[in-house]
Amino acid sequence: MGFMMDGLDAEDYDRTYTDRALLARILGYFRPHAGVMAFVSVMLLLNSLMDTALPILTARGVDALAQDFTLGAAWPLVGAILLAGILAWTFNYFRQRKTAEVVARVVYQLRQDAFAAVMARDMSFYDEFPSGSIVSRVTSDTHAFSNTVTLTLNLLSQILLVLILAVALFVINARLAWIAIAMAPFVVAAALSFRHIARNVSTQVRRVMAQVNATVQETVAGIAVAKNFNQEQAVFDTFQDVNARSYALNLRQGFVFASIFPILFLLAGAATAIVLYFGGVDALAGAITPGEWFLFITSIEIFWFPLTSIASFWSQFQLGMSAAERVFALIDAEPRVVQNDRRPVGRLQGRIRFANVDFRYSEKEQVLDRFSLDIQPGETVALVGHTGAGKSSIGKLVARFYEFQGGRIEVDGQDIRDYDLHAYHRQLGIVNQLPFLFSGTVRENIRYGRSEADDDAVERVARSIGGGFWLDALPQGLDTDVGEAGSRLSLGQRQLVALARLLVQNPSVIILDEATASVDPLTEAQIQEGLENVLRERTAIVIAHRLSTIQAADRIIVMQQGRIIQEGAHASLMAEAGHYAELYATYFRHHALDYQLA
Amino acid sequence: MALNPALRHSEFRIADEYPYERRTAVRWIFSHLWRHRLFFVFGLLSSAGSMFLHSLVPRLTGQAFDTLLLGAEARAALLRIVLAVLAVAAARCAVDLASYFVKQTLASRFQRDAREELEISLLGKSQTFHNQQRIGDIMARATNDVNQLGEMIMPGATLILDSVMAVIFPLILMAAIHPQLLIVPLVYVAVLIAALKRYNRRLNPVSGALQMQYGHMNAGLTEAITGIELVKSTAREALELDKFLRNAGRHRDYFMQQGRIQALYWPMLYLGIGLTVMFAHSLWLVSQNQITLGDLVAFMGLAYLLRFPTFISIFTFTLVQMGRAGAERILALINQDTELDENAQGHAAAIRGRVEFDRVHFAYAGNAALQDVTFTVEPGESIAIVGQTGSGKSTLTKLVNRIFDCSQGAVRIDGVDVKDWNLAALRRQISTIEQDVFLYSRSLAENIGFGQGRHASRTGIEEAARAAQAHDFIVGFQDGYATEIGERGVTLSGGQRQRIAIARALLTDPRILILDDSTSAVDSATEDEIQRAINAVMAGRTTFLITHRIAQIRKASKILVLAQGRVVDVGTHRELMARCELYRRIFLRDETPRANGRLR
Repeated sequence: MGFMMDGLDAEDYDRTYTDRALLARILGYFRPHAGVMAFVSVMLLLNSLMDTALPILTARGVDALAQDFTLGAAWPLVGAILLAGILAWTFNYFRQRKTAEVVARVVYQLRQDAFAAVMARDMSFYDEFPSGSIVSRVTSDTHAFSNTVTLTLNLLSQILLVLILAVALFVINARLAWIAIAMAPFVVAAALSFRHIARNVSTQVRRVMAQVNATVQETVAGIAVAKNFNQEQAVFDTFQDVNARSYALNLRQGFVFASIFPILFLLAGAATAIVLYFGGVDALAGAITPGEWFLFITSIEIFWFPLTSIASFWSQFQLGMSAAERVFALIDAEPRVVQNDRRPVGRLQGRIRFANVDFRYSEKEQVLDRFSLDIQPGETVALVGHTGAGKSSIGKLVARFYEFQGGRIEVDGQDIRDYDLHAYHRQLGIVNQLPFLFSGTVRENIRYGRSEADDDAVERVARSIGGGFWLDALPQGLDTDVGEAGSRLSLGQRQLVALARLLVQNPSVIILDEATASVDPLTEAQIQEGLENVLRERTAIVIAHRLSTIQAADRIIVMQQGRIIQEGAHASLMAEAGHYAELYATYFRHHALDYQLA
Repeated sequence: MALNPALRHSEFRIADEYPYERRTAVRWIFSHLWRHRLFFVFGLLSSAGSMFLHSLVPRLTGQAFDTLLLGAEARAALLRIVLAVLAVAAARCAVDLASYFVKQTLASRFQRDAREELEISLLGKSQTFHNQQRIGDIMARATNDVNQLGEMIMPGATLILDSVMAVIFPLILMAAIHPQLLIVPLVYVAVLIAALKRYNRRLNPVSGALQMQYGHMNAGLTEAITGIELVKSTAREALELDKFLRNAGRHRDYFMQQGRIQALYWPMLYLGIGLTVMFAHSLWLVSQNQITLGDLVAFMGLAYLLRFPTFISIFTFTLVQMGRAGAERILALINQDTELDENAQGHAAAIRGRVEFDRVHFAYAGNAALQDVTFTVEPGESIAIVGQTGSGKSTLTKLVNRIFDCSQGAVRIDGVDVKDWNLAALRRQISTIEQDVFLYSRSLAENIGFGQGRHASRTGIEEAARAAQAHDFIVGFQDGYATEIGERGVTLSGGQRQRIAIARALLTDPRILILDDSTSAVDSATEDEIQRAINAVMAGRTTFLITHRIAQIRKASKILVLAQGRVVDVGTHRELMARCELYRRIFLRDETPRANGRLR
């Protein structure tokens, strides 16, 4: 249930559709199934007719009894009742079955559209919106929508039944019919007011449940600390407090929910009593037949269920509609990165030119201001600077993850906006601080960038990093299961897998946002060797955090507030005693082997 | 009071814990309900009372029809009957309110107790157990499964109880009208039970598969979106769409299959046929003058009451089955044996700090993690443990404070096997500063004073914070030591968390310190402070040091080089540089000058 609530927060790309547009959009998804929907509608109508026929036929039987009764005359009636019962069930069967099929197909289509839209969004979209809320739109919002469709169809069949039956009752005796439905507003009002109270309590319950969960989670996550410090009792006491509070609120919620049914039953009892009395008076006076009196009494029961569900239906319906709205908003979100052309991309030389590039993530802050930089084919450029200097933005612009606002970016002399984006991406290799792995084996992950790579190639590449020593530390070597998002591997191992993946992909340009989190010294040595392999003969932009990488770069670009303020090699930059020397003292000093406390 | 077998080994227990029966899920559920037996019994009785009252209404309706034959007094008789109907409805409302309250209390208590039982059991489990569990999995049991326990009672079991009563009482009242009238309903109930069994047998596997597939779809989607940068940079969107559509398609197929099974709900058809036969039967009895018209109306009214159990059974059994499955999962967790125990009678003394590993073997989930590890650390010495990830560094330190127990050999502290130490006395004197520093969502002061519980003094906390270089940044926060951390409060950086952890350890004044230190300092100033804090905490204590900071490794009294669970070498930095190839590898890279130009 937790993730269902995640999706309820409004996001920037959310929009409000007019009811008409929303409905048209929804109907659009049902259009391919128009034939089946027509069939479902017919079944629905027939089902309701049969359901109405049952009590009416039974009432006829009662009437037959009240007059001079012969069993022979009753047989056709019994046959008719049986037939109506069987038909009602059959129509209902087809209705439900076909509804489920259509709903399943519509939801599938909706999910496909939503997922395709998600994949087509540029990275700025993912920066802005948490992955949990995107996921919940694709799965749970579509699910909520499908529930609403089913619910609506069910309610529709019940309402149809009530309407047809009501017409029959009014035809028989209008006065008694009015009396019979006189209780309806009370029922709806009672149900609605309960919903209001229940919602308040539910909010509190949800909150306290979140606290309980957080406490249990803390117990488990911090178990090592609790054990180390012998403080299990303290942890348990905290839990007891929250658990007791949750119990109290839970009970209150339960009481509110539980009290609605007895009260609705009471109203039903009152309605039965009223119809019993006035119907009886009419029957005694001969205004209606005993059978009709019987029909009125039976109808109260039939009316009851739809009445109570109408009260809760509207809020359910709105939930479903806003779920649909959220899915459509996701599908319709505007991409910001726009290509002007789709020129094919072969192997790139790797000449990259920034000419007076302006870039900002939001209106508030200019990240790059008329930024210019030329990178030669095969060159390794290290970007250094404080957080927010714009280092990462340069990598992201080259990767075409974001749209820039002014100037020009050229790759191999060609405007970056003219390339076929897919083909262009295939030539890029990007390694992040926290490399992502898909669940599966190490081998599958290494092959991810180029599925046609055979086992030999994967093995060869993996062995080429750090002499393959790292593979021996994996329990099943290349066939080791990496776990969810690589959780079974250490960070260092994940980095090694990512490096191997990059080598297999064999891109022409590399963008490297080096890990800040240090790994054990042995693994670090291997990563370093792997990096040397990767960077050889390729253009590389390195956002460097390791002293050794910086020192090994062809050129160090020192950035401050979106501009280049120094560039050159390590030794000469140190000699200049400028911003670089200051950065060195701030960030890199402690990496040195002869590091001493300042 | 005999202790439960599952309780015997535990690192934590509370006084007067209720002894639940834990042999099977069903027994466990009943032992929980039996704890509140008054509620349980009253719940049963009130359900019966409610349905009895409800069944009276058709009987009264039948009597109302018989007044048609009365003539003059008919009106008055009708009024009496109608008033009786109202009285019955009011009485039922009262009984129902009491009944629901009782059942709700029972359900909520069950949830509360089960959650508490789970929490106690989690606290009592060994670290070995916790290392093998995923937090998400445990959380699912503590939340979803516990909720299902509640839903199993209310509305699940309550509805089943009502269903049973809604069969029993109408049948009794039918028999009162005419014994022969029982025949058809009895046959129907038998058919209903058989049909429900079949229905559930068909539906359950499909519903289970559907639920599982939904989970797969969600997990796959989450993965694709978390890894979106990789997907985009390798241009594998089509592959991901394919993967997703396969999952979504499977979900669609299961959904349709479930829809088909649910649509084919035979009991409703049997009900239609049953009601017709009952009607025909009662018509026949009227024609034979065995019963009156009013009797027929009453009988049909009672027969219609059978709609409720027929219809509601679609949901109830699923709820109860889900509850039972939840109970099984919770119980499995609680019943998992934990290997260590408190050893309350064990050796308790002040630790001097000599630690000795004597041919120690340790296997973890079937894989040998440590093999034949032997070394000694003298009191006050520091030993740095060096090796690749997965070489067993952390595991080795966890044998010292018995987070794990070694499978062969012995770990001795001051000459006494750790297994012979009183667990509390042992752990109180050993402190670990973990790799991923865990802090509770409480105030900073409470976190630092955590080891002393309520006895922590403010001055003590501040002193520790100062020594750990944490005081300055703490007072920099608006609320100082009262600053809440975690979701509701401030987020600390890795370096800050580490210093809080060091302060927390300092306050308990441990004799042995385990420092699993791999947090990276982002800048050199933070690194300076962390170094100072670490130096302060190491002084005069036996220290096990796992670190990525090569400068620190060099300074340790001894260095132990591990590779795949075996000791490669032990010695000082100088000794190892001279004789250990693996150790040299770490330093070689940085000692080769490479500042000049291209990588080769």
